[in-house]
Amino acid sequence: MARVRLEHVTKRYDDQGDVVTAVDDMNLDIDHGEFICFVGPSGCGKSTTMETIAGLTIPTEGEIYIGDREVTNLPPKDRGIAMVFQNIALFPHMDVYDNISFGLRLRDYPQDEIDRRVERAADIVQLEGMLNRMPEEMSGGQRQRVAIARAIVREPDVFLMDEPLANLDAKLKVHMRTELQRLHKELDTTIIYVTHDQEEAMTLSDRIAVLDSGQLQQIDPPLTCYNEPDNLFVAGFIGSPSMNFVEGTVTETTLETPNFSLEFNPSSIDGVGVGDDVTLGIRPEDIYPGELKSEVPDPSGMITATTDILEPMGDEIFAYLLLGDGETSMSQELATNDQLLMSIDPDSDLEEDDEIGVVIDRRNVHLFDSATGEAIVHDLIPYEAEGTASSSEVESDD
Amino acid sequence: MATPTDTQEQSSDGPLQRWTQSAIQNPDKVYRALFYAAMVFFLVTTLFPFYWLIVLAVTPEGNLLSGSFLPTVNLFGVSGTFPLPVPKGFNPGAFVTVFEQVPFHLYMLNSFALAVTTTVIVLFVASLAGYVFGRLRFPGRALLMLGILAISYFPPAAFVIPLFQAFAGNAPITIPFTSIPLFTPPRLLNTPGSMVLPFSALFMPLSIFILTTFYGQIPDGLEDAARVEGTTRLGALFRVIMPLSAPGVATAAVLTFIAVYNEYFFSSIMATSPEAAKWSPIVGGILSYQTQYTTQYNLMAAASIVGVLPVVILVIVAQERIVSGLTSGALKE
Repeated sequence: MARVRLEHVTKRYDDQGDVVTAVDDMNLDIDHGEFICFVGPSGCGKSTTMETIAGLTIPTEGEIYIGDREVTNLPPKDRGIAMVFQNIALFPHMDVYDNISFGLRLRDYPQDEIDRRVERAADIVQLEGMLNRMPEEMSGGQRQRVAIARAIVREPDVFLMDEPLANLDAKLKVHMRTELQRLHKELDTTIIYVTHDQEEAMTLSDRIAVLDSGQLQQIDPPLTCYNEPDNLFVAGFIGSPSMNFVEGTVTETTLETPNFSLEFNPSSIDGVGVGDDVTLGIRPEDIYPGELKSEVPDPSGMITATTDILEPMGDEIFAYLLLGDGETSMSQELATNDQLLMSIDPDSDLEEDDEIGVVIDRRNVHLFDSATGEAIVHDLIPYEAEGTASSSEVESDD
Repeated sequence: MATPTDTQEQSSDGPLQRWTQSAIQNPDKVYRALFYAAMVFFLVTTLFPFYWLIVLAVTPEGNLLSGSFLPTVNLFGVSGTFPLPVPKGFNPGAFVTVFEQVPFHLYMLNSFALAVTTTVIVLFVASLAGYVFGRLRFPGRALLMLGILAISYFPPAAFVIPLFQAFAGNAPITIPFTSIPLFTPPRLLNTPGSMVLPFSALFMPLSIFILTTFYGQIPDGLEDAARVEGTTRLGALFRVIMPLSAPGVATAAVLTFIAVYNEYFFSSIMATSPEAAKWSPIVGGILSYQTQYTTQYNLMAAASIVGVLPVVILVIVAQERIVSGLTSGALKE
């Protein structure tokens, strides 16, 4: 049974005198059969973390365990892993059969066993009848399936997938995504999957590990990451389009932001005190047009805004709202105080530069400490709702 | 007013002027002409000696020194010298005599064996070096590479005397500037060892350079994939990186093979006399047709032709690979 554990794994590179820390004190405990996604922006250390598990990179500090064995310094071939690479990395001078059977032939399996396994792997990824083709004669999706077959044929303890779908077109990506899910169900193997696409991470994984600047930000099931992000980074990274952030200050009865105020009772929430600087996080779907106020369970007061840009997506419209006399914000900062993004019904007759009133669902508002970025609370239910508030506190364990 | 005069002038021009005019309009013409000129030049300079060898080889020995190879031809009363040498007589038997007088096939075998051994050694060691230089980052890499290339700047003659002394195996090697003996080398003169070792060292830098370029271009992902699949780094080199660099490997192999096959300087010294049993190479064999009193040019020419045939065949077979190896070096994943 392949449980994968990383203990205090750190990887530092010496880049011409500058020490670059790619992975910073990473601790992970991945159960047998789990599908884990590493997500994060480019350069966050997710690929390096995977390479340390694969053995392609030896960590500077820390230990790695696969199953009950410590594998920190073992070469990749002795770790019981298989890997699917972003650039697919089929051997161009070998046909599909040779590619798939490469690892088996190296391990001196008997010929009939190799044939049997290759056939079964080809069957699982639906490559029957293509075993004699050369990689260059195949489409991107077929090549990717060969790469997956090459990985499953050895029946490894752990699958490592480094952005395996990144080079495929959008339609194929969705198709391969379902195939991967089916495969996971069929094989019952631990899968560690690296992606920068949070949508892939949400749909595929049992748990998501969000990484930034070499550090683990949160590891939780997808919906927990979405609904109860541990900090500003996770909140902004998970969800597309991403969460609105507005900076504000806590007063006796409200949260004051530059353009609007939210009524709530600070004393009902642990960790918030009058005068604190907090960052408000609101997902686009938790902002409603004023006329729907009666349907929102716990609406805020009406906020007036001007629509700026509308992005019709078919099933919904993303509307950029300018608050107060706000100008279009071009800043790349996390908090956009003068701008809100909301998702509205596709049938809406809203037009650009309309003046509208919107309300915010206070049950789905996140508060973060502006200084540390840590999450404080994930709803602003006032007064009586003590019970709900406690359950929504940040959960660090699974 | 000017136009009619211009046309008139143009039509009265000679062919060269007309060609020049059109070449100005169409510069491609000039490039093509230059290309043909260069091609003809190279073909003549490379093929004429070979033709001259054939003429010499088939001319019977007795006719070699009498008369001219440039015959006088009488064409419709105008007599002149034919501009190309032609054989004086026809004696294809020289190609057989070559093997009867001297065991020339043994000399060829010597050269062939030396060339193959050296090529194998060079490819193996240069592959390891090429892998390190092409794929790993480590401090001092550029300096080390420069050092290796510097070896190829040395004239081989600089190594002859110390190597001869060492391979003679008479005296122990001492630490420089002292008389402290280190070890007595085995006597390698007149054995392939005394030739293969210096050849390998001398031809190594070029191969390292070629293979470094090629191995450096193989995507890291392929090596990683091979290692995850179950090879060591070395296994990945020989199972994946080397086959994918086939044009580069072929180029390095052919260049090394030809250089050693044609080598004479070292082997003439390391083989103390030009005998096949002492691993004298082809050139040693060719020179054996020259005795104190006679020089059988026709046999020397015939032997030269026979000796060059394996290389010609090799180049024809490997031509495509060499050309792509020398020019492109690009590799698709």
